[in-house]
Amino acid sequence: MSGGAGGLPPVRVERALGLLPDLEVLNPLRALLVSISRPDERTMWSSSGPYLTLGKRGVQPEELRRHLPPLLHSIAGHMRGLYDAYAEALECQQRSDGAGAAAALVKAGHSEEKVGRLAQALTWYETALAIAEGLQDRRPELGALRSLGEVCLALGRYTEAARHFQRSLAISEAEFDQASAIIACERLGDAALAQSEWAGAEAWYGRGLRLAEGARDARGMGRLERSLAMLARKQGDLTTADIHLRRARALVESVGAADAMAQVLNGQGQLDAQLGRHSAAYATYREALAWAQRAPRDAGLEVSIRLNLAELQLETGRFLEAEAELRRAEQVAIAENLTSRLVQIYTLMGKLRGQQLDDTGFVFFEQAIELSRALERSPAISARVYVEYGLFKNQLGQHEEARGYLERAREIFESLGEAPDVERVESELQRMSA
Amino acid sequence: MLRVLAVATEGAAGVFQNIKQWAAQADVEFESVPELPLAVRQLAAARWDIVLAVLGEHADGDLAWWVDALRGAAGSPRLIVAARRPSMGLALRAERLGVVDLLTVPLRRDDFERALGRVRSAASEVPIPLPEVKSDAVGQYMLVGQSAAMLEVYKLMARVAPSAATVLIRGDSGTGKEVVARAIHLNGPRAARPFVAVNCAAIPENLLESELFGHEKGAFTGAVARKIGRFEQAGGGTLFLDEVADMSLALQAKILRAVQEREIERVGGGETIPVDVRLVAATNRDLKEAIAQGRFREDLYYRFAVVTIRLPRLAERGDDLSLLTAYFARQFAERYGKRITAISDNALDLLRHHNWVGNVRELRNVIERATIVATDEMLRAEHLPEELRGEERALPDRPQGALLTLAEVEARHIARVLAHTSGQIGAAAEILGIHRNTLTRKMREYGL
Repeated sequence: MSGGAGGLPPVRVERALGLLPDLEVLNPLRALLVSISRPDERTMWSSSGPYLTLGKRGVQPEELRRHLPPLLHSIAGHMRGLYDAYAEALECQQRSDGAGAAAALVKAGHSEEKVGRLAQALTWYETALAIAEGLQDRRPELGALRSLGEVCLALGRYTEAARHFQRSLAISEAEFDQASAIIACERLGDAALAQSEWAGAEAWYGRGLRLAEGARDARGMGRLERSLAMLARKQGDLTTADIHLRRARALVESVGAADAMAQVLNGQGQLDAQLGRHSAAYATYREALAWAQRAPRDAGLEVSIRLNLAELQLETGRFLEAEAELRRAEQVAIAENLTSRLVQIYTLMGKLRGQQLDDTGFVFFEQAIELSRALERSPAISARVYVEYGLFKNQLGQHEEARGYLERAREIFESLGEAPDVERVESELQRMSA
Repeated sequence: MLRVLAVATEGAAGVFQNIKQWAAQADVEFESVPELPLAVRQLAAARWDIVLAVLGEHADGDLAWWVDALRGAAGSPRLIVAARRPSMGLALRAERLGVVDLLTVPLRRDDFERALGRVRSAASEVPIPLPEVKSDAVGQYMLVGQSAAMLEVYKLMARVAPSAATVLIRGDSGTGKEVVARAIHLNGPRAARPFVAVNCAAIPENLLESELFGHEKGAFTGAVARKIGRFEQAGGGTLFLDEVADMSLALQAKILRAVQEREIERVGGGETIPVDVRLVAATNRDLKEAIAQGRFREDLYYRFAVVTIRLPRLAERGDDLSLLTAYFARQFAERYGKRITAISDNALDLLRHHNWVGNVRELRNVIERATIVATDEMLRAEHLPEELRGEERALPDRPQGALLTLAEVEARHIARVLAHTSGQIGAAAEILGIHRNTLTRKMREYGL
C-alpha cells in the first residue's frame, strides 16, 4: 500500500488511533478509520505478514479525507432524524397524543441503535416509557418495554432486560397480543440463558414454544426450537439438542426464511462438531454460508459462521484453511466495524499460533485485549481473552505469565458474578499447579 | 466421463433445458439443482469435475461466493459460470479468479463444448518427475538451491559464521533471511546456546521494548507477571532481530545502548543486567534510505552492518525454483500423509512464469496448498491458486483464442496491475505511468 500524498507510506492504525482522543463524539471517525484501513502491501509476504493485526494495517490520510464528507453527511442525517423525532414528539404532546409522542421517541431510539449508540437508545426508550406508562392504551408501553428489553440484552444488562420483558409479557397477555407474548418469552429465555440459569431458560423457551404452537407461528417455533437446542447443547445434552435442531430446521425450511435457516445450520454445525461428526459439520457450515448469502446482508451472522468453521478447522488440524477463514472473517469484521467479533477472531488466531507453538502469536491476544478495552460494556469479553491468553502462555511453557493472565480473568469474572466461568478458570489454575 | 453439477438460482433453472441432451452426447454426466444450499449438499455428497453456475443479479458477489465455496471441495471441481449480460469487468474478474470460462445465457452448445474441452485438456497434462534435492539441513530448516547467486551467499555465510561478528541480512520478503540467520548461528561457536528470533514489525510498538528487555510485574497495564525479555533469553546465543527498519527511533537508541554497553534494564526495573548475545539483524527495506529520511539511526546501522549478506530474489535464482518446488512438495506430502512424485508441465509453466513477489515464502505457500488439494501423485495446474491459474491464458506459446481489441488488452493489463497492487489505485497509476484520475476513468469505462 503506497502511493499516498508524495508517495508517503500509510500511517499505521495503532499510531492513527493514538492521535485520536477518547471522545464519544469521535466514535464515527474511529469506525471510519478502522473500516478504510488496509494491509500494507509491503508486508503481505514479509515475515510479519502472518501476524498482521488491525493495529498494523495502514491508513492514508488523503483517503480518510475523501471519506469525510459522506461520513459527515450521514452524521448530519442521523442528528436530523433525532431532532425531527423530538419535534414530532413535541407536536404530539401539544395535541395530547401520548401514543404518538412515545412512538416518535422509540423511533429515535431505534435510529440510535442502528448506528451502534446503545446507551443513547436506552435513554430515548426510557423517556418513551415514562410517557407511555401514563396512557390508557397499553400498546405504546408494550413497544417501549420491548425496545428497552432488547437494548438491555445487547448491553449485557440481563436482569434489567428480564424485568422489562416480564412487564411486556404481562401486558401482551392482557392485550391478547400473542406475537408479543412469544417474543417476550423468548427474550426472557435468552436473559436466563446468558446468566446460566438453565431451568429458567428452559421454562421460558417452553412457554414461548407452546404459545407459538397455539398461534401456528412456524417462524417463532423454529426460533424457539433453536434456542432450546442451544440450551441443551450448553448443558451437554447433545441428543436433545439434535432433536430440537432437526425440528427447527424443518420449521424454518417450511417458511423459507433464509436468515433463520443460516442460524439453524450454524447451530447444527456446532453440534455436529461437538459430536465429532466433522465432515457433516463442514458441509453444514458451507450450507449455512449459502443460506446467509441468500438472506438480507447480516455481516454478524456471516462472521459467526466463519468463526465456527475456523474453530472446526483448528480442531481438526487444518491450520492453513483455518487461517484463511479467519482472515476472511477479519476482512468482513473490519469493513463492518464488528469490534467484538474482531476480538473473537484475534483470540482464535492466537489460539491457532499456540497450537503451532509459535510464541509470536501473543500479538493476536494483545490486539484482542486492546480492542476489548474499547468494549467497556462487556468486561466479560476481555476476561475470555485473558483465559485463552493464559492457556497460550502455558502451552509455550511460560507458566508465571500464564498464571497471571488466568488470575486476571478470574478477578473479572468474580466481579461480574459469572460463577461458571470462575469455576472454569479455577480448574485451569489447578491443572497448571498439578 | 466428466461429472457436471449445474446450479441455477433465482428461477433460472430453465437455462439448462438443452444442456442435458448436449451433455449426454458429449459423454458427460449432468445433474442440475435449483438452490445454492442444495448445491452445497451435492458438493459435499459426491465428487464433481465441473460446477456450472448461473450467476444471479449480483453476479460479482455470486462469483466470489462460488470461488470461495469450491475451495477445498472434494475432487477440486473446476468452475464454469454463466451470466445473462456479462460485463467486461466480470469477465476479467472471472479470469483472474481462475474460472474456466464465462458463458452467456442463453447457453450455446458451442460455448458449452469449448468450456468442456478446456477442462479435458487440463486433464491431459504431462507429468514431469520431481528432481532429487540435496539440501543443507539447519535443524528443521533447509537451505535449498544450487544457483550461482545462492553459492555466493553460502560462501559468505561460511566465512562469517565462525566469528562473533554482527551480521545484517538484506533481502526482499520471503527470500529466507531467518533461515540464513539460523544457519549462521548453528555453524558458529554459539550453536549449543539458544537462537531467539524477534519480529520487530509484528509486535505492537508499545510492547516491543518489554518484549526485548523484559518487564517487572505491574510495570504497565497488562504486565500481569514478571517477564524475561528476548535479550536475556538469548544469553550466550544469538538474537535475531527481523525487520529492524520498523523499530521506533526511541527503541533504536535503547538497542544501541544494549549493544554498546552489553547490558539492559527490564521495563519497570532498576537493576542493570549484563547480556552476552550475538546479534543478527535483517531487513527488507533500504536502511540507507531510511537513514537519509531520519527514520533509522546511522550509528546503529553501522553496528549491525559489520558484515552484510544480500539474499537474491527467487527470480534471480534460475532453476532453484524446480528444486524448491520438489523440496516443498515432498515436505508437505509427508506432513499431509500423501505421495507426490511429479508436477505437470502446465503447472510448472505457471510456476516459472509467475511474478514471485513473496519469493520462496510465496512458493512454499502455493506448494503447500497444492499438496493439500492434490488427489493423486501429480501436482496439476488446477491445484494451484486461482491467481496463478488466472495467468494461464497469458502464458507464452499458448493458443490465445480470438484476437483481442486494443481496449480489451488495456483492460486486462489494468486488471493485472490492480491485482498486483491489491486494488490500490495510487500505486497502480504509478506503475502504469498515468494519472490516478485517468486510471479511475478507465476503470469506470471497463467496469473494473
